[in-house]
Amino acid sequence: MTRVVLNRLHVNLTPVIRWGARHVVAIVGVCALAGYCWLFTRPSADEPIRSDGYNYYLYAPSWLIYHDPTLEALAQDWNGGAYPAFSGIVRWPGTNRWMNRLPIGVAVLMLPFVIVADLLTRWSNLPRDGFSLYYQHAAALAGLAYFLAGVAVLRRTLSRYFSPAVTLWTLVAITWGTNLFHYAVYDGTFSHAFSFALVCALVELTDLWWAHPRRWHTAALGLVAGLIVLTRHTNGLLLLLIPGWRVSAWSHVRRRMRELWERRRAVLAMTAIAAAVVAPQIALYKWVTDRWMVNSYAAQGLGFTFLSPHLFGALFSTQRGLFFWSPVLLFAVAGMVVARDWARQVLAPSALVFTLNVWVIASWTEWQYGAGYGHRAFIDSLGLLAVFLAAFFAWTAEHPRLVPYIAGVATLATLLSVVQMIQYWLRVWPVRDTTWEQYRSLFLTFR
Amino acid sequence: MTRKRVVACIACALLAWAIAYLRDPPWAGSLTSGMGRWEEDPPGTRFRWTTGRASFFVPRDATAMTLPLRAVFPGPDGRPVTVSVSVDDRWLADIELQRPDEWVRASLPLPRRATSRHFRRVDLHVSRTAVGPFILGVMTGEIGLDRSP
Repeated sequence: MTRVVLNRLHVNLTPVIRWGARHVVAIVGVCALAGYCWLFTRPSADEPIRSDGYNYYLYAPSWLIYHDPTLEALAQDWNGGAYPAFSGIVRWPGTNRWMNRLPIGVAVLMLPFVIVADLLTRWSNLPRDGFSLYYQHAAALAGLAYFLAGVAVLRRTLSRYFSPAVTLWTLVAITWGTNLFHYAVYDGTFSHAFSFALVCALVELTDLWWAHPRRWHTAALGLVAGLIVLTRHTNGLLLLLIPGWRVSAWSHVRRRMRELWERRRAVLAMTAIAAAVVAPQIALYKWVTDRWMVNSYAAQGLGFTFLSPHLFGALFSTQRGLFFWSPVLLFAVAGMVVARDWARQVLAPSALVFTLNVWVIASWTEWQYGAGYGHRAFIDSLGLLAVFLAAFFAWTAEHPRLVPYIAGVATLATLLSVVQMIQYWLRVWPVRDTTWEQYRSLFLTFR
Repeated sequence: MTRKRVVACIACALLAWAIAYLRDPPWAGSLTSGMGRWEEDPPGTRFRWTTGRASFFVPRDATAMTLPLRAVFPGPDGRPVTVSVSVDDRWLADIELQRPDEWVRASLPLPRRATSRHFRRVDLHVSRTAVGPFILGVMTGEIGLDRSP
């Protein structure tokens, strides 16, 4: 009976699903712009460049308007030679130079948008100060644009290996069933939307590079690898995907080493491009601290405690648990178990990277990653988890009796995530340290 | 003409219109930069904090403005705080705030240079800031405008 109904539904829904899968990026874009307009036209709205977004963005006006990579001129002009305490930008002991704890990658990616904002600012006679109207929205819309680019690239990857229905379900679940949409729309000046796009590009390019190596794949992969490190240094471990892609057993390792040797020119070119992209950051660290490698958070007393990671807190707690705030991602874990074909081939490197990533995130002394909705450190790798979410939905599609249940649970989990995101936008949730009692008392309340 | 060309033509026309519109947007008069939200001090005076720099707009037909300023925090070594005022990137005046707690209402004649825009941009630069969780420049009160010819 169920099968008959489902088959009938499938027939009726097929054109809708195909249309949805084809236009999902546009649909997400329209929703994101609507959410953005609603958020930033409210009388109580904060400016888009705030909190960590301030630190990430700061380099762009320093380079473009003040022609000063040292951050001195902006500090003088705006703040009488200082930076606000919330930014954590401090003068490095010994050199007395400004150390911004957050790297330059986001500003590099924002730069085309900020240049347009700067030209418009001159044209409209607005203050060319780096923080007036157009700059604010250029920085935030840059995050939104990269997020949409990430969704588009992810759609391309998934469409190659999964049906339109699975692709559509996956993209909807990743976008709204997690905190990705929030960090693209509400906190678009943070690094996460940018990193999400870069990791989606990494997955796509790595897959293309191993399938049909071309020169532009090599160059693009080097560029993306460099930008990933430049945007968030710890995401460098995601680059393990490149050598490990489609290595699904120990017996493949030796063959892979041989393949890498055969492609040594491409590997060298890729490494050189990535190194060239990262070089300005290294040079900046050297200039600021007189050292090549540095913990930019040292002044805040933050670092890694790899022997005592907060694994439960980072994955399951009410404070920040990944699966507590984005339960639909449990299907991605299940997808790692039931993955077939291509998804099975990329499982081993993905699982390794995911495990290392969890360990690194949970080992950060500030494992809640400050104020925010859900655990933001995991957003960067959602492009990878999406593969296994799709694998799970594909497996579900092969078990029609499960479809209504899985579809129901996925829909509820996604709706819950959307509702909780709106609660966060309305400032219902505490920004951190949410307890179970608080969660229960605020559940589905909007005031 | 193909559908793609029609869409491209419409997009170009819209872009051209948007650029022309943004030359002198009518809402520029309500824009500020480098200023906090409106607050009220105990006697009921409305004010906004600036940072080290701040900008706002005045209508082009304004011939003078009264700019209420209050330092609150003194300059280094108790020296006065200076606020430099410029209009459309041209220096207009330096205002010294001798006593931190006193409101200074500076009357400033606005230049009569011709402009095709509806608003003139006024920029303030504060000589010192108070650094804490946030950066505080000076308090600015409600700006009075004189539009007499």
